[in-house]
Amino acid sequence: MSTILEVKQLSKYFGGLAAVSELDLSVVDSEILGLIGPNGAGKTTLFNVIGGFFPPTSGKVIFDSRDITGLKAHRIAHLGISRIFQASTLFMEISVLDNVFTGYHMSYKTSIWKRLLRMPSALNEEEMLRQRAMEILGFMGLESLKDELAANLPHGHQRILGVCMALATNPKLLLLDEPVTGMNPEETQTMIDLIRQIRDRGVTIVVVEHNMRVVMNLCDRIAVLNYGRKIAEGLPEEIRDNKEVVEAYLGKEGGR
Amino acid sequence: MEKLGKKYRFNQINIRSGKLIGLVVLGVILVLVPWLVRSPYHMHLLIMVGIYAVLAMTFIFLLRTGLISLAIAAFWGIGAYSSALLAMRLDLSFWLALPLSTIITGIIGFCIGYILVRNPGFAFIILTISFGMAIVHVFGTFDVFGGYVGITRIPAPDPIPLPFLAPIEFSRVSKTAYYYLMLFLVLIVVLALYAFYSAWTGRAWRAIGLSPRLAESLGVNLFRYRLVAFVIASAAAGLMGSFYAHYMQSLVPGAFDLFKTIYVHIYAILGGIGFAISGPVIGAFIMTIVPELLRVVKEFEPIFTGLFLILLVLFLPNGLLGLLSLRQRVERPSESIARVGRWIRAYLPTSRSEHENRK
Amino acid sequence: MELPLVGQLVVNGLSMGMVYVLLASGFNLILSTPKILFIAYGEFYMLGAYILWGLTQELELPFFVALCLATLATGILGGITYRLIFQRIEGHFLAMIVAAIGLMMLMAQGTMLVFGTEARGMPSLFTGMIIVGGIRISVERAVLIIIALAVLVGLHLLLQRTNIGRAMRAVSFNADVAALQGVNSNRTYLLAMVVGCALAGFAGAIMTPVFAVSPGMGAITFIVLLVVMLGGIGSMLGAIVAGLVLGVTLSFGQYSVGGGVAQIIFFAVIAILIFFRPGGLLGKAREEVPL
Repeated sequence: MSTILEVKQLSKYFGGLAAVSELDLSVVDSEILGLIGPNGAGKTTLFNVIGGFFPPTSGKVIFDSRDITGLKAHRIAHLGISRIFQASTLFMEISVLDNVFTGYHMSYKTSIWKRLLRMPSALNEEEMLRQRAMEILGFMGLESLKDELAANLPHGHQRILGVCMALATNPKLLLLDEPVTGMNPEETQTMIDLIRQIRDRGVTIVVVEHNMRVVMNLCDRIAVLNYGRKIAEGLPEEIRDNKEVVEAYLGKEGGR
Repeated sequence: MEKLGKKYRFNQINIRSGKLIGLVVLGVILVLVPWLVRSPYHMHLLIMVGIYAVLAMTFIFLLRTGLISLAIAAFWGIGAYSSALLAMRLDLSFWLALPLSTIITGIIGFCIGYILVRNPGFAFIILTISFGMAIVHVFGTFDVFGGYVGITRIPAPDPIPLPFLAPIEFSRVSKTAYYYLMLFLVLIVVLALYAFYSAWTGRAWRAIGLSPRLAESLGVNLFRYRLVAFVIASAAAGLMGSFYAHYMQSLVPGAFDLFKTIYVHIYAILGGIGFAISGPVIGAFIMTIVPELLRVVKEFEPIFTGLFLILLVLFLPNGLLGLLSLRQRVERPSESIARVGRWIRAYLPTSRSEHENRK
Repeated sequence: MELPLVGQLVVNGLSMGMVYVLLASGFNLILSTPKILFIAYGEFYMLGAYILWGLTQELELPFFVALCLATLATGILGGITYRLIFQRIEGHFLAMIVAAIGLMMLMAQGTMLVFGTEARGMPSLFTGMIIVGGIRISVERAVLIIIALAVLVGLHLLLQRTNIGRAMRAVSFNADVAALQGVNSNRTYLLAMVVGCALAGFAGAIMTPVFAVSPGMGAITFIVLLVVMLGGIGSMLGAIVAGLVLGVTLSFGQYSVGGGVAQIIFFAVIAILIFFRPGGLLGKAREEVPL
């Protein structure tokens, strides 16, 4: 089983504050890795660094045997890492279909001039991408809502739309930041099933979540962060019984 | 997450019959203007409205990519001066000078933009302010630009020969030919901008406008798109500048200072920055025509302008069109301004210098 | 150029530079904390000068009393401006910039209408010159530089040691996180504005004995912008270095080529510098803040 992503001695300082400190992490191809830890443990910062939104203060990120440390976000997207943000970051003011369509930005092959002039090759590509977008929406159960404004969707559907957009980019690695936060049990189950199906399609997934039941259920392995450092890593059962982990949570949130 | 509510429905830029009729009527009126308007002075005002409207459109175009530029008038000036110099020093006909100066302005826009666009947010704004000021000094200091006195006796466009008819003369007396030329140029710019805004080519731009971070995560190269927008905005401003030079037939550096850019901003905001093409037209029209009708005293201008600006953003941030909501807009127009705010917020410095925190 | 002349230009530049440092610091404070690109900043500088002039010349108050009053007055005025205008449009950056520009025009023109366009001077406070190696510094200037330094140190202490200062720094870093820790962002913004404008007024006031006051003084904002760009947006240390550097350079520039050309050169130099070091001299390279 090969490692698709490797984080080596990663540190990120904001001024004097260490958000992430000498973190080592490996993500195995096609696995679902859970990333847990109290608020402020550095999980989102880690995602930001991997996603290319800012460079680390020190350390490396290696993806597919390639050093991607410090590359900008759009370059990283082109390399196959896709990210769902914590808040529902969608293009609120446009339709669901248009949202997914925008995800195909990197897939366009016809040049901008051909598209401007509405040439047949461009038209064909539009149609093909449209069909693929509908496929994804169908896969995730949203096809009936395709013309609805993203802002009008209920929260659960918005999160699913976010995943759709990420899928449109054809990622190898998907970073999910709290995908089920704020969802009811039914929506949560739907999301869990979807995530599994995505993995079955060959996508590696890293999930940040606070919902312990989901994490234990879904993830193949779990890594635990606290104060920017990794304090444990292993199979769900191992983590559940790990004293340090329990302490970290009891100390902060009393566990869930 | 607050929902916008279903009363705002998305109105794609599909030509529906109602819109088509409206456009045709508008077109007819515009073409008939020289017959409806007799006074050359009013014609002059309308021509200026056209010019200012385009400048305001370029401002909004840049705004939609997250860039607040205070260098609009500067590029307008670059277009004007380069066209004047091409015509007077190299004896080029206006019809050559126009496209050439547009290209020159675009190239300068590329060079300047390359440096400026890398620093979005406050840095960009400050740099455009400095650039705007520096350019005016450049125009004023070097003799080739005529110094602070400026350039005069810029030739009018050569008459356009027509088969079987008398050639079209560009006279400052009747201004009719100038008016139609202005309309033509405005149309070019509007079509170009429209192409960028429409879904086909504009998805990436639209994405940047709605959420730059999300767009980036989908692989949109923000810098490249912003630079392109900057070049296009500069070229468009340069185009109108060339026209301006050969219309007014004289130039002074003071016409292209920061205050002119502020006025352009006013036109855009007054019309409503959510409305990329109609907003500037309305704003420019009102700000140019209304003072004439009311015979506002000129001496107190800066004070009133200042006050007007403050009141405008406090009480009318959505602009007039936003207030009237003539079209069922996708977003509440006040969100346009809020969105720009969010874009800029994404690029603000995160902390004071490390030096301080180490102390 | 002979050494005394060079030295003289340097000294003049440094004293002007201190003013730039003060202004850049205040400007940075307003830029970082309430995140306003306060183009009207120079007008508060001018206001401080006029108030001081008025208090000492018309009301014949002692200099140091007038200095404190002027600083206080501009600070309060800054706070009022924030409450009336900027608090309502918080977060809307375009609106804030436009409002700041409007305010600038209002204040500049208003002052011109009230006071007329001629410059006004005031008699020196201290007579006498210090002569070091052929370079002449008036005692007056020296005293003012020392006072300015003291204020700078005070500002530093305020930001580093007091709760208010820490709040301002926290808010400038991340307003939402700061709110979670109990910081009242509105109040912090207000205070930052008050301190920033007070600094501007102070700078204007101590300048008055040395230079004359005129309604056009507000244009100093544009030089402050260059200082801030050079030193790095939000960087206090950068403001100090850049302010002094720019002060000295302008002093030489004024002498040799004159104001307009100097501006062009500055812009070009800074543009090139920004190209290679996006953060300015001391700022970090641009980092994006996740929303």
